[in-house]
Amino acid sequence: MTATAAATSAVPSREFGAGRHVIAVLRLLFVNKAQLLYVPIGGQVAIFLLNYAIWWIIVVAAGANPGDHPKIHLEYSGAVLYTFVFAMIIAVQAMLRTFPFSLGFGVTRRDFYLGSSVAFVILAAIFAAVVTLLGSIELATKGWGIGGYLFAPAYFSDTFWLARFAVYFLLLLLLMFVGALVSAIYMRWRAFGVSLFFILLGVVIVGVIAAVTLTHEWDATSSWVNRTGAFGLVVWSLVPTAICAVGGFLVLRRATPKS
Amino acid sequence: MTSVVEVSGLTKRFGKFSAVDDVSFGIEENTIYGLLGRNGAGKTTMMQLLTGQQFATTGTISVFGQSPVENASVLSKVCFIKESQAYPEDFRPKHVFASAPWFFEHWDAAFAERLIRDFNVPINRRIKKLSRGQLSAVGVIVGLASRAPLTFFDEPYLGLDAVARQIFYDRLLEDFAEHPRTVILSTHLIDEVSALLEHVIVIDGGRIIIDEDADALRGSAATVAGTKAAVDVFVAKRTVIHRENLGGLTSVTLDHLGESDRAAARRAGLDVGQVSLQQLIVRKTSIPEAEFGAQS
Repeated sequence: MTATAAATSAVPSREFGAGRHVIAVLRLLFVNKAQLLYVPIGGQVAIFLLNYAIWWIIVVAAGANPGDHPKIHLEYSGAVLYTFVFAMIIAVQAMLRTFPFSLGFGVTRRDFYLGSSVAFVILAAIFAAVVTLLGSIELATKGWGIGGYLFAPAYFSDTFWLARFAVYFLLLLLLMFVGALVSAIYMRWRAFGVSLFFILLGVVIVGVIAAVTLTHEWDATSSWVNRTGAFGLVVWSLVPTAICAVGGFLVLRRATPKS
Repeated sequence: MTSVVEVSGLTKRFGKFSAVDDVSFGIEENTIYGLLGRNGAGKTTMMQLLTGQQFATTGTISVFGQSPVENASVLSKVCFIKESQAYPEDFRPKHVFASAPWFFEHWDAAFAERLIRDFNVPINRRIKKLSRGQLSAVGVIVGLASRAPLTFFDEPYLGLDAVARQIFYDRLLEDFAEHPRTVILSTHLIDEVSALLEHVIVIDGGRIIIDEDADALRGSAATVAGTKAAVDVFVAKRTVIHRENLGGLTSVTLDHLGESDRAAARRAGLDVGQVSLQQLIVRKTSIPEAEFGAQS
């Protein structure tokens, strides 16, 4: 036996074990940068340019000069939703496609999930940073010179950049882990499991509405929402995010890919 | 020889259906195994159980001395190439070959480069645009270049043409000689790989019906042909696994026929012939021959 042959024999090699596979999964999810970064960022920029053209049309149609200080404020937009949906799809595809692929490479479900979770946090931070940066430019230029707001719309009572970043980051994180949980349920129990999950979720939501209504607590609820504010509510999203993240892990731990 | 896999009393049920049914066997180190059987016999389920992708209903599996389920130190030495392998969305072969070295300690990049040239894989094309054969080639290249101590190939070469399949056999044997490892190959093309296999496990209906050294298996079985009367006399006390009649002539396939028995048959005026591995397995699993060897 040669030295190399001895190395490939049955002696367990711990140094090439768990921790390395977590990082390998993280790198695997980022290996196709075009799909993961350039497509969503390019798509969001294209959506912005289309919106910009529409703002320009509205400003001109309203009889204003686009070069003038904006008289019309176009402050409401849901166009950033694109990035949120894209982030969710990335998480879903990681579970549905990259997970079975990784198992063939000798990765444990635990290492796959840990590596993916780190990747989701990094991606949420990148996307949130891009949207926050564009929002800061938007605010500084008073709506790109024509009063159009897309990245920092009027929903933000607080225009401080860190507050905007936190809101985007936490919402992205929530959506990605919701996507991860639902697709982990699909991996484990297939379509039946996903249907059952949404039925149970519906039961819980109706139950909460019933409880609040029957105890006549709507006033207290709405005043709590008002007191907490948008930023406070987003921080509260960490609770469902954590539940989805842990739930996704427990579900995927016993999931089996299709043969 | 050291055992790398030990399976005992293994059963995997999906609802009421037993895909693997009370199976026990061992896999020796640095050997090329053939896991053969019909479609739906339980080959893929067996491989998924051995790689921790499926969970056993009952029984024990030991790979490198431990359970493979969620065991990073065991699975980091395992590579499982599936014919129906799913790839991440919008992957290209270059992404597969770029990421494989992060997972396989013994990955040989130069060998992978050579295989990419041999199989003529377009590394910049989207995986979903690859032909059946090119897709199989991507898996075969990862399986070979990973040099994982325990490598599984599940029907690895659907769609590969005869030349590409020969390249696969040649490269596997060459590389195996320099870097011995345990390879488990499931296939329909039994005769084509029969020279490659050192040990054969045949699974049928979730049960193992043959677990033998490939040379012993090839040497043991035989056909005996002659007039119906003479053949009947000869096989009176032997187990016949297959019989064909043509007019007054009869040909039977016998499971085990030793040297003295062969001599006796010849003295009785009968023709003794070789049985190919494929024929033997077809006879044993009692199915139409067309099922095997037909490339889809």
